[in-house]
Amino acid sequence: MAHDTEGGVGDLSAFTAEVRAFLDAHAPTARGEDEGSGFVWGAGDDRMAYFSSDTPEVEKQKIQQARDWQRTRYENGFGWISGPEEYGGRGLSPTHEMVYNAIESEYDVPDTGVLSVVGLGMIGPTILAHAQPHIKDRWLPEMYRGDAIACQLFSEPEAGSDLASVRTRAVRDGSTWILDGQKVWTSVAHHSRIGVALTRTNPDAPKHKGITAFLVDMTLPGVEVRPLRQMSGGADFNEVFLNEVRVPDDHRLGEVDGGWTVALTTLMNERATVGGDDGGPAAAALSPQRLAAVLRASGTVDDGAVRSRLAELLADVMATEHLNSRAKRGMRAGVAPGPEMSVSKLMYGQNLTRAAHLVTDVFGPRAIADSGDWGTYAWSELLLATPALRILGGTEEIMKNILAERVLGLPKEPGIDTKSPFRELRRSGTGKDKA
Amino acid sequence: MSDVVELSDAELDELRSTVRSFLESKSPEDAVRKVMESESRYDPQVWAQMADQLRLPGLAIPEAYGGDGFGQAALGVVLEEMGRALACSPFFATVVLGAQALLASGDTDACARHLPGIAAGTTTAALAVAERTGAWDPEEITTRAVRRGEDGSGEWELTGTKSFVIDGASADLLLVMARTTAGPSLFTVDRGAPDLTAEPMETLDATRAMARLRLDGTPATLVGTEGAGGPLLARVLDLTAVGLAAEQAGGAARCLESSTEYAGTRVQFGRPIGSFQAVKHKCADILVQVELAQAAARESARLADLGDDGFPVAAAAAHMTCSRAYMFAASENIQVHGGIGFTWEHFAHLYFRRAKSSQLLLGGPSASRERLLERLGI
Repeated sequence: MAHDTEGGVGDLSAFTAEVRAFLDAHAPTARGEDEGSGFVWGAGDDRMAYFSSDTPEVEKQKIQQARDWQRTRYENGFGWISGPEEYGGRGLSPTHEMVYNAIESEYDVPDTGVLSVVGLGMIGPTILAHAQPHIKDRWLPEMYRGDAIACQLFSEPEAGSDLASVRTRAVRDGSTWILDGQKVWTSVAHHSRIGVALTRTNPDAPKHKGITAFLVDMTLPGVEVRPLRQMSGGADFNEVFLNEVRVPDDHRLGEVDGGWTVALTTLMNERATVGGDDGGPAAAALSPQRLAAVLRASGTVDDGAVRSRLAELLADVMATEHLNSRAKRGMRAGVAPGPEMSVSKLMYGQNLTRAAHLVTDVFGPRAIADSGDWGTYAWSELLLATPALRILGGTEEIMKNILAERVLGLPKEPGIDTKSPFRELRRSGTGKDKA
Repeated sequence: MSDVVELSDAELDELRSTVRSFLESKSPEDAVRKVMESESRYDPQVWAQMADQLRLPGLAIPEAYGGDGFGQAALGVVLEEMGRALACSPFFATVVLGAQALLASGDTDACARHLPGIAAGTTTAALAVAERTGAWDPEEITTRAVRRGEDGSGEWELTGTKSFVIDGASADLLLVMARTTAGPSLFTVDRGAPDLTAEPMETLDATRAMARLRLDGTPATLVGTEGAGGPLLARVLDLTAVGLAAEQAGGAARCLESSTEYAGTRVQFGRPIGSFQAVKHKCADILVQVELAQAAARESARLADLGDDGFPVAAAAAHMTCSRAYMFAASENIQVHGGIGFTWEHFAHLYFRRAKSSQLLLGGPSASRERLLERLGI
């Protein structure tokens, strides 16, 4: 697919030079990309995980490092490159931001995901677009300076892929609203100072037309954050219970019953991370050297069936890497990515899943009980994380709808649920719903 | 490599649109059907225009030999378009196989003798490696090369049978891999040489002609170093894999377009079939494969031009990725079309045939997988 260069950003070379000068002064360059070359079987940590599931002490330390690096960015004019100057931004284009991110990925800097993925990447632009001026003044600089972490109070037990069917209620009481309901799969909620919540304010309207969005101070009475333990054992997400939380009307984002527009702003700013190329804890699981070592250690390196699986997997891993490196090179030159990111996300999940199954299959019983042999049972942690990779950030099925509808332009499924009043829609596990 | 003239993305895009409009006008579906059933199996007039107007045969041949000196990335753009149009042309055998084998031999005399003609479009070439089983494996070569004369210093003569030779019945210049006492070695044989017969083979894919060559004491000229055929073949295989990958990516992209267009317009049960998730997801699955194929083909071509150490691995992987992508896209394209897709009149089967024949051309999936693992040292 061809991509057009975004017009009107002017010459990026001065900006690029400025970015490099800043990073050269503040960060070491990243270690060599070929992580496998220094790999020795049996040496070092054999942990193979996707979710960090850190101890609270380690997590705290990582968050501090993220805050410190974000503050350094902010103080040097790179904290919010595309944001308006009146709220602490730099006033440049999204292309400049893309260029900055692509260049920064060449350096070894702290991971600021806890701040940036949801808060700075999605919630900040939502507040900017829909909040009242005094709310923007109050929160935006604090967020982009690295102080306030923000979360997205969107998904609910009954609103997963179909986000527009949220049923957390908000009822007006004079100049405040009373929020009541449950949110789920909320990343970083336990560290967040604020969150953006989608609520149902009009169950008599069709589902997209009765939603209102609020900025919720997470320290308010009635906000209860509980860790959600996932099937892999750790707790990297939360459930958030809103028990009669009183939110002032001036914290409303957008119009009453106009929350779907607000949600779209948030979702449009959701940037798929460059799958498989993030050097994350699972990157080693896809290294050819690492996988070859597994085959040797398990005595299956001459097994034709195993060799086939490995070769097929490695070809897909490489194609996915090529997709990422081409997209990144494009971004450095200011070209907006096309469908590569969605394809890359799909493939990354599938590749890791296949790697985890291949390795556990060749280790056999040593993958189901800890024999003490280095690098064998350790893969079970990754194995147990892989089902999530086909679900989080949009299920595979939803991703395919998006690719087919937005990239290929195929028609949408005719909606039976977009015109009827929300309270008449069918709920899971029941016949007809009453809201 | 430093001697490759690099083209910017914008220049590559321009090349793509030039080649695409040329092929749309000179090689539309009805022309492809006519040519694939003709005796020559290509249209000499179109080939001449390709050379004279667009200078395509010389695109990736070094300037010293009369070409334009662009690299695999530029060649890949042309091959994607050829694959997309299913163009019946001597281009693949002449430019990808023939010219690359000559260049890989390091024989500057042979290059100076043959490449200018190839670049100008006046010489077509074919590379004969495979024998009875079709494997591109130097170990399996039984065709013998011996020197005439009692002291063994005379002309070379080749004896044996080569099969699956693309354009083997039409090419002006035959490059033949044969075994001497030193091992597999590359030779040239002229089309008009005595004791040479070429018989066309019936092929699954009529858009790519193949022939069997019978050599019976046929005079030949050694190219490069005697016994150096193994490494030469490895290099040619890598470059061929990438060239083929580009063709495959282009063909797969055409299948995706065809499926998408049909799914958006064909109505059943009162709706365009593309609004059903079963069909929509099929199209999305094809898109995923096409994106991977394009990335693999283009990135490995780029690595070839950079002289990157990772090129042989990337080349082997790209051929695997593109083989699967094309076969999937061509099969699912028929499925999306339903009954109409299974008719002779519909072009879907032409892509299905090309997809399968491209997947198997260099030995097939098992050979490709082992080639990748071997290149990785596994």
